[in-house]
Amino acid sequence: MNKDSQKAGRRLRFEIFRYNPEDSMSRPHLDTFELVETPYMTLFLALHRLREEQDPSLQFDFACRSAVCGSCGMLVNGRPRLACRTLTRDIAQTIRLHPLPVFKLIGDLSVDTGTWFRAMADRVESWIHAKLPFDPTAQEARMDDDLAAAIYEGERCIECGCCVAACGVANVRPNFVGPAGMNRIAAGMNRIARFMLDPRDERSGDEWFDVVSSDDGVFGCLGLMACHDICPKSLPLLEVYAFLRRKMLAAALAPRSRAQL
Amino acid sequence: MMNRTATLTDPAALTSRQEARRQLYYELISGTSGLALAVFMWGHMFLVGSIVTGATGFDWVANSLEDYYIAQPTVFAVFALFVIHAAMASRKIPAQLRERRQMRALAHQLRSYPGPATQAANDLRLQPHLESLLWIWQVRTGMVILVLGSFHVVLLTLDVLTPLFGTRTGIEAASTFARVQGGLWPLYAILLLCVEFHASVGLYRLAVKWGAGAHLSRATLARLERIMLFVFLGLGLVALLVLAGWLDPPLAFLLQS
Repeated sequence: MNKDSQKAGRRLRFEIFRYNPEDSMSRPHLDTFELVETPYMTLFLALHRLREEQDPSLQFDFACRSAVCGSCGMLVNGRPRLACRTLTRDIAQTIRLHPLPVFKLIGDLSVDTGTWFRAMADRVESWIHAKLPFDPTAQEARMDDDLAAAIYEGERCIECGCCVAACGVANVRPNFVGPAGMNRIAAGMNRIARFMLDPRDERSGDEWFDVVSSDDGVFGCLGLMACHDICPKSLPLLEVYAFLRRKMLAAALAPRSRAQL
Repeated sequence: MMNRTATLTDPAALTSRQEARRQLYYELISGTSGLALAVFMWGHMFLVGSIVTGATGFDWVANSLEDYYIAQPTVFAVFALFVIHAAMASRKIPAQLRERRQMRALAHQLRSYPGPATQAANDLRLQPHLESLLWIWQVRTGMVILVLGSFHVVLLTLDVLTPLFGTRTGIEAASTFARVQGGLWPLYAILLLCVEFHASVGLYRLAVKWGAGAHLSRATLARLERIMLFVFLGLGLVALLVLAGWLDPPLAFLLQS
């Protein structure tokens, strides 16, 4: 920890992106604010103080302030981060905040990640696909501890959208993030891998092939792994990516699928 | 299943399973051709490296490969692989310069973490954007190799198949020395640098993408990649220095009887 920055009470300079798409007079610009740093100040605290003390019209999203709800993702000096778990002492005196790119802007730092994640869940059919009708009287099938832990690992995603914002391909090609491309962005791949691991999901290799490996599938990803590196929840997105590639190769090589194609 | 999703998404964007399969094949061809070329470059290093034993050793290696008709088909096979790899591996490079600039800007945004990196918090990794930068340089070195490598392969094809250069059909130490010393050494130096970088980074990226990272950490793989890069760069440099005439063949004594 940098002790000096705690003692000095730095004057932080915030440069915050402002734009209200609802207001026809509004033009995108940066507003500058100043704030004296307090010990253990997070961007969550800083933004709330700015809104209370300096500009009540400042828009940003927060709910849980503890990296669980996933609503405070924003670009902090260009890097997607969760504002609630970013300590100001870890960053420079000048803090430039932008909304996450790629997603629909609601206003200032607030973006709509929900619509995207909902559509992604629809695209990858993010639910257990069972072939047999549900039998409420039957005993539940047992699951190995390791497997359950591996599935849970994928469930830890809080849908903050940082991986989407950090994706080079998503930034360059807007269509990539459209519904067709949702399966190849980190969060989507992570969701697919979660259901692929789950023995209760009975989708066959061929059925997965459609979801994962289509024109816009996992092989459209460049493998730059920025998503893995910036994920605020440290999800193993690199392993997910490699896992899906191997699965798709195996599905393509399986003799049954060859006969069907 | 597809019908259900089609109502939720743009039907035109949903492609057939054949198309999905084609994407997999493209990926496999691009990866395996790259792997084959990287392996070939290791062999190539030892063939060129025979120059460290002097002109006699070099000529002996060249003659053997030509007499047994190994060199001739290899030239064509490598050129074919080279073209296939270029076509397949370049398919994901953004076409617009604007897009490439955007990729580069993003790489730098994510890498440069301003202020004192005082503590290694979870979301504060040391080299967050290694992959992006490696990929950008893969594209750049690939472009250079496409130009200089083509020139080199054409020259070598003429060497192997025609008596155009030197005194006979085949690769000769004398004409190779003359070529490098006659002013082509900067070209070969650039080609060496690009090829060694491109091959070692390509192997690293293959390992990461197919999941060797599950057994070895990405940092370990990156370290292996760097070792590979410098070892082959060093070997290549020695060979180039000998060919350029700035270094006497260090192992020439082996063939002196």
